Amino acid sequence: MTTTDAQATETMFTAGELYDRVLSGEPLFILDVRNADEYKRMRVEGHRNLESVNIPYFEFIEDEDGMCARVPADREVLVICAKEGSSQYVAGLLQERGIKAGYLQGGFVSWGNFYDVREVVSADWGTIVQIARPARGDLSFALVSDGKAALIDPLRHIDVYQQALADAGAELTHIFDTHVHADHISGGPALSQASGAPYYVHAYDAIHPIDMLPATIAYTSMEDGQQFSVGQITITAIWYPGHTLGQMNYLATAPDGGRYLFTGDGIFLRSFGRPDLGGRGEAWTPMLYDSMFRRLPPYLTAETMILPAHFSTIDEDAGGGIFAEPYSTLLTHNDALRPRTLEEFSAFVLSHLPVFPPEYVEIKRVNIGLSTPTEEQASELELGKNICALAE
Amino acid sequence: MSSFDQTLDVKGAKCPMPLVKSRKAMGDLAVGQVLQVVATDRGSIADFQGWAKTAKNVEIISQETVEDGGVNLYVHYLRRTA
Repeated sequence: MTTTDAQATETMFTAGELYDRVLSGEPLFILDVRNADEYKRMRVEGHRNLESVNIPYFEFIEDEDGMCARVPADREVLVICAKEGSSQYVAGLLQERGIKAGYLQGGFVSWGNFYDVREVVSADWGTIVQIARPARGDLSFALVSDGKAALIDPLRHIDVYQQALADAGAELTHIFDTHVHADHISGGPALSQASGAPYYVHAYDAIHPIDMLPATIAYTSMEDGQQFSVGQITITAIWYPGHTLGQMNYLATAPDGGRYLFTGDGIFLRSFGRPDLGGRGEAWTPMLYDSMFRRLPPYLTAETMILPAHFSTIDEDAGGGIFAEPYSTLLTHNDALRPRTLEEFSAFVLSHLPVFPPEYVEIKRVNIGLSTPTEEQASELELGKNICALAE
Repeated sequence: MSSFDQTLDVKGAKCPMPLVKSRKAMGDLAVGQVLQVVATDRGSIADFQGWAKTAKNVEIISQETVEDGGVNLYVHYLRRTA
């Protein structure tokens, strides 16, 4: 590149800085210069103030002036490409024309693999930490008390969890998946192998629902109502079939009476988990209805914090980047949870089903050991945001 | 392998350079001539396809993946059409 002067003024954003901007809701103009199909599959999303436009970088190479004229001259522009090089190149072209342009360090790859770690609660009995992968809307949690730790729904990049536990000075004693996930590759089995801590998932989820083949990974099943101790925290496993046959909710109770319900793909803040990803939507919908309206309510109080495994949009941020809120608050804006008859519920599910991403069948295979992807194949499988919730 | 008039070696070059250099090299071809581009950037396959759709005078004749000493080479054949 010949634009040495312009280069000196391009701002580089890290994925963490981008996430702070996204959460803040400050206006942001994103120029995404990847291919149209990559953009369609997944892009940086935020609040209403985040404006995003897709003009592939080769269009800038083909017609510099014409394309630069399509970018607003009076806005701060963040250019994003797949790996960084092209966004820096395009940001340089914009800078030459007096447009304030920055680019994302590491490109979309670094955004897709960015993890955000923050405390949900910190008390004398311990802490609950939310570990999010914002690009995909994936949420996982660490529960730490008296030097012991449990993980719930850990994601694929296990070093993030190993680091978080090392920072907390805690020994990993339990790894829980709420269910065998379809949208992302679990870090549970690998963390179990690395640490020796048992990996818990319900046996009903250890059979692939489409292939009808059993898991080859090591796992420990559990009973409805079974309890576990992690330091001063008690964890109760609650069977909640519907999204999968073996979906569990985990209720953590603290000595101060605090109640934290990890719902996985059961209840979300604005929706609930779809019952069709096992390919048996019709049979599983009444079961989900029973879980939602009969099995779970005895465990719920108005103050019980609901901590799901996903968000669908950044608007679900309950404040400070935490995607969790008390049950009573959730009820005020989650129309999906409104009481319905089974017939109304089934109709509601059918009318709110999003597309069924074809790679979800393969991801379930990976999660029970029936298929072992390379790193490149694993990232390919995890492209795209989770589509585990019913549409709003 | 298709026949070609000029060849461009962009092995090791990262996005956007394979395309920037190809654009320049196409400008030096006569209309109807074919450029062979040898790249190691896997993303070049989709990018050249997108570019050919957008550009007014570039047509893809073929794209091949060739293994060369354990490294994948992505070889593109592009014709200047106008």
